[in-house]
Amino acid sequence: MDLAVGKKDPRVESAISHWAPRFVINGVPLTDFQEVTAAVDRWEDWCSAWSARAAIHEVLGNKALAEGLKRSAGEHYTRAAVCYHFGKFLFVNDMEQLRRAHLKSVECRNKALPLLDPPGERVAIPYEGKQLYGNFRKPIGVTRAPVVVMCMGLDSAKEEMDDYENRFLRRGLATLAFDGPGQGEAEYDFGICPEYERPVKAVVDYLETRSDIDPGRIGVWGVSLGGYYAPRAASFEKRLKACVALSGAYERSSSFEGRPVINVEAFRVRSKSNNLEEAGKVSARMTLRGVARNITCPIYIVAGTRDRLTSPEQARKLAAEVSGSCVLDVIEGGNHVVNNLWYRYRDQTADWMAVQLGAPRC
Amino acid sequence: MPDARVQSAIAHWAPRFVSNGVPLTDFEEVTAAIEHWEDWCSAWCRRAAVHEELGRKALGEGFGLSAGEHLTRAAVCYHFAKFVYVLDYEQMKAAHARAVECRHLALPHLRPPGERVLIPYERKQLAGILRKPLGVTRPPVVVLCMGLDSTKEEMDTNESVFLVRGMATLTFDGPGQGEGEYDFAIRGDYEAPVKAVVDYIESRDDLDAARVGVWGLSLGGYYAPRAAAFEKRIKACIALSGPYDFGDLWDTLPELTRETFRVRSKRDTPEAARKHAASLSLKGVAGRITCPLLVITGKLDRIVPWQDTERLAREAKGPAEFLLIEDGNHVVNNRIYRYRTQSADWIVRRLGPPTT
Repeated sequence: MDLAVGKKDPRVESAISHWAPRFVINGVPLTDFQEVTAAVDRWEDWCSAWSARAAIHEVLGNKALAEGLKRSAGEHYTRAAVCYHFGKFLFVNDMEQLRRAHLKSVECRNKALPLLDPPGERVAIPYEGKQLYGNFRKPIGVTRAPVVVMCMGLDSAKEEMDDYENRFLRRGLATLAFDGPGQGEAEYDFGICPEYERPVKAVVDYLETRSDIDPGRIGVWGVSLGGYYAPRAASFEKRLKACVALSGAYERSSSFEGRPVINVEAFRVRSKSNNLEEAGKVSARMTLRGVARNITCPIYIVAGTRDRLTSPEQARKLAAEVSGSCVLDVIEGGNHVVNNLWYRYRDQTADWMAVQLGAPRC
Repeated sequence: MPDARVQSAIAHWAPRFVSNGVPLTDFEEVTAAIEHWEDWCSAWCRRAAVHEELGRKALGEGFGLSAGEHLTRAAVCYHFAKFVYVLDYEQMKAAHARAVECRHLALPHLRPPGERVLIPYERKQLAGILRKPLGVTRPPVVVLCMGLDSTKEEMDTNESVFLVRGMATLTFDGPGQGEGEYDFAIRGDYEAPVKAVVDYIESRDDLDAARVGVWGLSLGGYYAPRAAAFEKRIKACIALSGPYDFGDLWDTLPELTRETFRVRSKRDTPEAARKHAASLSLKGVAGRITCPLLVITGKLDRIVPWQDTERLAREAKGPAEFLLIEDGNHVVNNRIYRYRTQSADWIVRRLGPPTT
């Protein structure tokens, strides 16, 4: 790409203008966001710049761990994992680099898991002859806790979920954030799966094998594209007792017109499509039309009026079609996933989920 | 074009606001909408009211945990509305009252909860917030000393790092600070209010008065070591970006800092304020510090030169450590991951592990 000196690539400009709230609330220190994005001019340098910043946190984690300071180490590693994650999250233009950063992200979060409060464990979920991986955490002092199954989106992965997990955990709910087909660790073996009830069925089957949680009280939660996946799963999987959907689509089309170019490319690569026509066919399979009416469990739907990826109209259509009780929260001024106004839904949805799954109000 | 004071706020305060609990979008939106410094306090109060309303709603629905977080956020926004807003005392006082009330409402719902304590001092009282770690009997206590413009309502994230490690926290507004700024002027011999705080800790049988540490940031990074020099019941001290001698710095300080100091020192003229600043000094005092001391600052600090903190570490008589963060600003708010948990881990080791 031909760029004048000192001029930023539009993909980087777009990143800076849209992603700060998400990065920061999900665990990137503000100064890291400001400095790393200020120093990156070409999108091609994005992944390495973030990986270099992530390495600083990783070293701090190693040092703390060597000194026996486990709690501090867990926090540093989690921060490292989030920075590596954002290094790779849409970097499908260089799969080599993406994979390297991704391995580091997973490695750092895995190192953090036993050190967290409450701790987490890495779990493997049998799926189509292979495995899906998840991070499983249980609240302290609760016997056979209810569980929230957390569905990622197009570019999120389980390593980004610490803040969301903590809000459920503090309210007495266990969390299982997992990488489904086309997501995180599963993006290599499996393409995006519009029929997301399949991986969620595997997750619920897995949870039923565990005696330390209550398989009769499982909820599902999804963010962005996961805001489509979660209600899609709830339509078919009746073992799910409640659903939270954040900024998900009601139905997608085969056209990617008007979408940011790096998001489109990520969709193409993660759906294992050779071209946009093939990718469009996968996209068109994503629909809740005639499906959402099978949602009988309670659902909480969140959308933002300033979402430039998913119109709040999609949330209204979903709300109109479900058969069970529904909270529709279209947040004025909210961007995609309402990351800019996170205090308007993160605690609220966690409180709601706790009530639906029978955890005591706290 | 916003006026110079607003521009300076935008340029320098984002990391502090955000790491101490202001949502990033709030910082961006509120500061972007302010043209004149005169509008600062009311703009932040309006944003704070959004969080207060969310908090009261959650309280009404019985969601205490959420309420505690919303109300703490409200308190921080009200606090930053007034923190250096000395140009309109009435407005400042009204915002301050909201900050105190919101944090007070949050206290029973925090994890761990907090309680408001009143510390006898000069026939009146200093107000503080005491929080005890869960599941620890007679925990050690870290006394948190505020600076020129910080107050106990801003300390939630700083308290948390100590609490999760088994230490209690007692954050208090001293003379010239927060609730202590109405009755009492800033005083250089800060060992006097800290003595009152340690006396208070000794009066409580649920705290271990033999294991008291002191922590201070910014001007509190002067107050804490000053207190440790005289108050030998203090067993460890952390000082962040504190001046060595405030009078020596006077001419280099930003105008807003000098004016805030003048008002909170209850001096009528800049000249009187300058004179008073000279009474905040560690000259001949730092050498009396015998407890373990951790001094932290950023090399890019444009308010207090890093050499001030180095001098403190050098002159202290006890074991002293000096942590200079190359790319850190004042109080290293831009690199909190380089010292916040580290200093909490440091003081746990100095005060001894919690007993469960």
